[in-house]
Amino acid sequence: MEHITLKPRFHASGWRMWIKMRSAAWKYWALGAASLLAGGSAWAAPHVGGIDFQSPATETAKRVHAFHNEVLIIITFITVFVTALLIWVMIRYNRRANPVPKKFAHNTLVEILWTVVPVLILVWIAKGSFPLLYEQDVMPEQAREEEIVDIKVYGNMWFWDYTYNVGTDNEFNVESRMLKVGAPDPSLELQPERGDLAQLSVNNPMVAPAGRYIRLKISAKDVIHAWAMPQFMLKVDAMPGRLNQLWFKVDEPGVYYGQCSELCGKDHSNMPIELRILPQAQYDEWQAQYRASPQAARTYLDRVQPTKAAQVASAQ
Amino acid sequence: MAGDVKHDYHLVKPSPWPLLGAASILAMMLGMAGYMKGLWFIPQHAWWGPLPGLVALIFVLIGWWGDVLKESRAGDHKEVVQISLRYGMVLFIASEVMFFVAWFWEFFEMAIYHTLRANPDHADLANNPGLVGWSEWPVPQTDGTRVHPFDPFHLPLINTLILLLSGTTVTWAHHALQAGDRNSAKIGLLLTIILGLSFTALQVVEYSEAGFGYDKSIYGSAFFMATGFHGAHVVIGTIMLMVCLGRLMAGGMKPEKHLGFEFAAWYWHFVDVVWLFLFAFVYVAPHIVWGSGAPAAGH
Amino acid sequence: MSSDPKTTAAGHGHDHGHGHGHGHDNAHDHHAHDHQDPKWYSPARWLFSTNHKDIGTLYLVFAMIAGVVGFIFSGFMRAELAEPGLQLFNGTAFGGFLGNEHNYNVITTMHGLIMIFFMVMPALIGGFGNWFVPLMIGAPDMAMPRMNNISFWLLPASFILLLSSMFVPGPAGANGFGGGWVLYPPLSGSTGHPGVAMDLVIFSLHVAGVSSIAGAINFIVTILNMRAPGMTLHKMPLFAWSVLITAFLLVLALPVLAGALTMLLTDRNFGSKFFEVSGGGDPVMFQHLFWFFGHPEVYIMILPGFGIISHVISTFSRKPIFGYLAMAYAMVAIGFIGFIVWAHHMYTVGMNVNLKAYFVAATMVIAVPTGIKIFSWIATMWGGSIEFKVPMLWAIGFIFLFTVGGVTGVVLANAGVDHALHDTYYVVAHFHYVLSLGAVFTLFCGWYYWFEKMWGIKYNGFIGGLHFWLMFIGSNLIFFPQHFLGLQGMPRRYVNYPDAFSEWHHWSTIGYWVAAAATIVFFIGLLEAIVRRRKGEANPWGEGATTLEWTLSSPPPFHQYNDLPRFK
Ligand code: HEA
Ligand code: HEA
Ligand code: CUA
Ligand SMILES: [Cu+2]
Repeated sequence: MEHITLKPRFHASGWRMWIKMRSAAWKYWALGAASLLAGGSAWAAPHVGGIDFQSPATETAKRVHAFHNEVLIIITFITVFVTALLIWVMIRYNRRANPVPKKFAHNTLVEILWTVVPVLILVWIAKGSFPLLYEQDVMPEQAREEEIVDIKVYGNMWFWDYTYNVGTDNEFNVESRMLKVGAPDPSLELQPERGDLAQLSVNNPMVAPAGRYIRLKISAKDVIHAWAMPQFMLKVDAMPGRLNQLWFKVDEPGVYYGQCSELCGKDHSNMPIELRILPQAQYDEWQAQYRASPQAARTYLDRVQPTKAAQVASAQ
Repeated sequence: MAGDVKHDYHLVKPSPWPLLGAASILAMMLGMAGYMKGLWFIPQHAWWGPLPGLVALIFVLIGWWGDVLKESRAGDHKEVVQISLRYGMVLFIASEVMFFVAWFWEFFEMAIYHTLRANPDHADLANNPGLVGWSEWPVPQTDGTRVHPFDPFHLPLINTLILLLSGTTVTWAHHALQAGDRNSAKIGLLLTIILGLSFTALQVVEYSEAGFGYDKSIYGSAFFMATGFHGAHVVIGTIMLMVCLGRLMAGGMKPEKHLGFEFAAWYWHFVDVVWLFLFAFVYVAPHIVWGSGAPAAGH
Repeated sequence: MSSDPKTTAAGHGHDHGHGHGHGHDNAHDHHAHDHQDPKWYSPARWLFSTNHKDIGTLYLVFAMIAGVVGFIFSGFMRAELAEPGLQLFNGTAFGGFLGNEHNYNVITTMHGLIMIFFMVMPALIGGFGNWFVPLMIGAPDMAMPRMNNISFWLLPASFILLLSSMFVPGPAGANGFGGGWVLYPPLSGSTGHPGVAMDLVIFSLHVAGVSSIAGAINFIVTILNMRAPGMTLHKMPLFAWSVLITAFLLVLALPVLAGALTMLLTDRNFGSKFFEVSGGGDPVMFQHLFWFFGHPEVYIMILPGFGIISHVISTFSRKPIFGYLAMAYAMVAIGFIGFIVWAHHMYTVGMNVNLKAYFVAATMVIAVPTGIKIFSWIATMWGGSIEFKVPMLWAIGFIFLFTVGGVTGVVLANAGVDHALHDTYYVVAHFHYVLSLGAVFTLFCGWYYWFEKMWGIKYNGFIGGLHFWLMFIGSNLIFFPQHFLGLQGMPRRYVNYPDAFSEWHHWSTIGYWVAAAATIVFFIGLLEAIVRRRKGEANPWGEGATTLEWTLSSPPPFHQYNDLPRFK
């Protein structure tokens, strides 16, 4: 996992920052191009100048991404086609080129064509779309109930909390708050460091094991929030009174970022989601550490999966 | 317009009522907001908050409709104008129907999917233990008490009969008016009004005996708002009929032209039909499907 | 050809000069006139009006004012988003005048509501609808002129309610409602906004709704009952068709919103439990009711524009519209399907997957009738003799931009992809392409098309062209990069964002300044025309302009068609 970011901006100062950023922008573009060549996987978190989805991290997300690419080609083609027609009529049938207008107002053949062809295109899109929808929404059958990891997620104004091992003796709760890069928050034990991403990094990340079926039960305690994970192409509302469900399975350990995606009031933009996927053994160890103390768990995380200063240095 | 106008449309003269009407509605809304929450110089729960706007609005409506009557008498409502007015009334009723769609939709959704809402797979019971009760219908109230729905075959049935009967009396009045039998028209209309008033009265009695609260569960809220808006429409319809009776007494309304009467009658029938839906789906169907819960209070 | 409505205006349509000097040609020589027509400066003429053209003018002026407010609000948002961190809404900028993050939400919410309810709808339906539906169908006025006037006056009342809401308590310790134009509870309920601000927003929309329903009834009645003799529905100009369909959507959709708003109001104030989980209510129910209105609403905003585009394309190609009947019934189809697709805005609420699948299919179907319209416009131009006057620039620009916005709608329709894109800037880009670059382009298209007809003076073609090009470049620059942001995951309604999104937000804000320049040019063009007073012609567009309004003087007489035009 690489996290390319601009320097932490403690005091973004208007256009000077902009100019500085522009002058460094070639680097991001070049990295972007390189990563595309390398199969796109180097880009995890959103990156400056990015024009596509963040790289998909689950099998399902990869398929959704591929499907989107197909649809993108279709709609680009349609738009180019319409534009080409417009340009053509503007050139061929302007007043100078065609002083005397024709008077026809019907042509059955083309009318049938421009009804039937879009229908066919849409049927084709739907054919790709439905299976993916069901794949995203329905837990696959091969996931045996006892192998599923259940995590309960609550949205609050304005932080997330995650409950592990619900209903067992091991139940514990992780409260996850944004690290205010640029505006250190004395109420938090942990302060942002070099390498923390503004508006994305949190004090206590959510953690889940790699290679297993994770099932989230999501709800909210006050207003509606939405738990979103761009790299999994998933999002579901945290709706008071309801338990919404999401499932995913990530094979590669890594760090994934998401943000609250339903307007929930003043600090809607300040309740990100940081998800650490760890190998099973480390996940178990993290749990043990967390039950001892959140601080210990955090230290453990930073050790087994460093995302901070060291990692930033390697990216530069 | 004087002179060479060669069509029958009604070009209405400039009128102060729309501007004044909008201003009164603005005042009424601000006053209402003040009443509910306190706004500027209006303290919260000041009953007089919406009053100035309301009074002004009533004044405007009287002036406005007075003008309409004058214009009608002056012969401005030619055949084609009457058709316009008819279309207008039909569309107004159509919009009212859609308004009721919202309330019925709410009720159906709640009644049909109530078990889903109590299902531990879908409901966040941990934070909302009350949702457990949703496996039953009607759902229990926030204070834990049960809802005692009305027995549909008691007062509601009587009310249904009353409204159906009033539908026939208003039609009788209408036919009488068309036939020039003004006396029968008056009697028919009077009967309709009496029936309308008794419906409202019985509804008030029924409300006062309700075995559930408006603000204690979604059932109560949906029930009282749906039937309450219907009741409000009954009252409005009754007032419309009263105005018609007044005009009839005063010698207005011709056998060949009596739009005001027709519109009041249409409106009355609309109110009638809404009630039938309420009766069938809010009173009877749940009763048949889920039983009466517990015996209704007071009956 | 019998189905082409435009070519059949018979001789009588020209008889506008009948009677007492109604045939004056210029709005600005009213003083020279007979006693019947009120003077333009007479307050009673504007306050008590029962004249469809005057009321149309009132609507347009109102829309312009609201448009400027909404436009300034979008400037606040773009300035804030120009770079990461808090620029404006940080509690200190301008002496704290703009408040904190909450106020960003307030501004965004107001921007959305104002642009939709107080700019686009009043301009396209109230403004152009009032002006041109009666003129085009050969009617002397609207069916219910007095009700027409209250439809208008309720709008300023509603606008005052909305604007006041920004200055009264919303959430604890702050002013204004910042819950988005979709008003979802519990954020819009007592939990999120206990203060009176939200109640004012509710009342504002109630009043705007009454205004729109009354206006819509008036249009339907006028169109059904007051067409000139001989003008069957199948000969009626497409703009009248579009307003007819729009009006039906309004009558059927708005009352449902009114119901939902009333439930919200009673939940907030009288303890009902419609959307309160504690009493068994369900916030999702509000979303269903809202979008049952909300989706038809987006077609309400675009259909009148479709009508305008048809006339402009046909006029400047000097060719009758291609496939007139298909064009009319495509709009009917769009209106109808528009009622059964609402939950495509709710793919992430936790809906049953089969339901999602239904809404995917139903939504995509709308692309077909819309495609028919796009291709028919191009076919109208095909073989024509196209003149690139200012309105035509807007029309061609519209076809391109609406296609871009439409096809991204088809992407969003696929629930699987929408799971990733919902509530991101991809959606913002989509709907600004169909609204800010779609509906607004049709609005300016109609403005320049009918400018001379309405005001009796000519605008400066160069300024008009400049306005178009600046707007075209500016708004593309604002909204195209937002697709990238959305794909990358940038959520909507965010006052602050990770550094990674800075690049495209910068470009977007630069685009805003170009669009701002365009808007200034627009008003300069208006001023220039007013100052210069070049006398307008009855029909400046020549043989391509065949609908009835071009048979009248510019501006038209105070009361037209005292003698009704007759159609073959
Ligand atoms: C004028 C307004 C307008 C119009 C016309 C449309 C048109 C369409 N919209 Fe859009 N939409 C909005 C305004 C509008 N929308 C708004 C305001 C929102 C956001 C609300 C909010 O949340 O705040 C929104 C959101 C929105 C969503 C929800 C996204 C989300 O929140 O996650 C969806 C999803 O399905 C959607 C779909 C569509 C579709 C399929 C069309 C179709 O009608 C488009 C059809 C047109 C074309 C497809 C182009 C022309 C056709 C052809 C050239 C033929 C060939 C084409 C094909 C075969 C594909 N829209
Ligand atoms: C018709 C609708 C409309 C229009 C025209 C616009 C125009 C613009 N909008 Fe807006 N926008 C919305 C509807 C519209 N918007 C809605 C519904 C939302 C969602 C709100 C929510 O989240 O709840 C939104 C949200 C929204 C956001 C997202 C905020 C967020 O999620 O945090 C942004 C950000 O850039 C934005 C920017 C702009 C900009 C720069 C323009 C520019 O294009 C402005 C440029 C100027 C003009 C288009 C000219 C204005 C017109 C006139 C001056 C009147 C002329 C009148 C006559 C001729 C009679 N808008
Ligand atoms: Cu939580 Cu938005
Ligand atoms: Cu929609």
